[in-house]
Amino acid sequence: MEDHEILTKFQDPASRNLAFNQLVRKYQSKVYWHVRKMVVDHDDADDLTQDVFVKVWKHLENFRQDSQLFTWIYRIATNECLNFLSSKRRKFLLPLNDVGAELAAKIEADPAIAGDAIELKLQQAILRLPDKQRLVFNLRYYDEMPYEQMAEVTGTSVGALKASYHHAVKKVEEYVTRHTEE
Amino acid sequence: MKTAFKLDAHPRRPRPLLSEPPAGYFDKLPTQIMARLPQAEASATPGWRWLSFLTPALRTGIASVAVLGGFAASFYMSGSAPLVPRSAPTAALDAVPRTELVGYLLTSGARVENSDLAVLTAAHPGIAKGFLHVSEDEVNDALDAQPSEDATYL
Repeated sequence: MEDHEILTKFQDPASRNLAFNQLVRKYQSKVYWHVRKMVVDHDDADDLTQDVFVKVWKHLENFRQDSQLFTWIYRIATNECLNFLSSKRRKFLLPLNDVGAELAAKIEADPAIAGDAIELKLQQAILRLPDKQRLVFNLRYYDEMPYEQMAEVTGTSVGALKASYHHAVKKVEEYVTRHTEE
Repeated sequence: MKTAFKLDAHPRRPRPLLSEPPAGYFDKLPTQIMARLPQAEASATPGWRWLSFLTPALRTGIASVAVLGGFAASFYMSGSAPLVPRSAPTAALDAVPRTELVGYLLTSGARVENSDLAVLTAAHPGIAKGFLHVSEDEVNDALDAQPSEDATYL
């Protein structure tokens, strides 16, 4: 079902549930992996993904279609992730690096990555980036999202996003080089 | 010397190497999300949906007026409707068996003075009719026998 069709059906109370169910089925995987890349842990990603769609439900009626539906959903998901990580830091009084280290430890424990030393170092490097820079890195490197669309998701200018991504790549390359044996 | 790592030279994956979610996760997720939607609450109270169209400041104002109005109404209601009916003292006393009343007066340490009786009968002229079985002459004789300072209440 196309986005405009979902939105039209959502406006009608009789078909609202059906339309929203279609919306969830269409975007759940993308939202989940977007969130999972940020919080690493599946249970956290599961909670946040559900929270994202509950928020989408609450605000979809007021969605003005100034941007694409998916970009709008991504923006909600991004804010949920950043709020989650920042509240985690506040709750446990953790400095920035400790949350990165905690996420890196979860990556190390993940059996999917076992045996791939370079990939492990790459993930550790990415998880040590500040949250917002990591978000920019993920959107550009993994999702290959155009900068203009990233600007809509993050509310940041294209120029600032390019600079942020450039710095993120440098940091990642330096970290992997430094921590990889000959 | 270490070889510098270049991200462009590293095989790009669509996402990091993380374990997949549990089997059937994406089949169950829509049902879990639909169960969490607040639609039942919204449809059960359609009369309040107009509130969502108001600005937060206006909603706060309406809430304040409602709370203050509630206080005013409860204050008014409590003032206009006496908690205890006017006839309550005598009615309540009538309901108490005489033996219990006597027992209370004897054991509680309460002392009923002549002045108490005088004030009570002045406030409620008919209160003694139910239990004071004496004639008017007997009452007058008893009053004439009282010291003058006690008789001033009558």
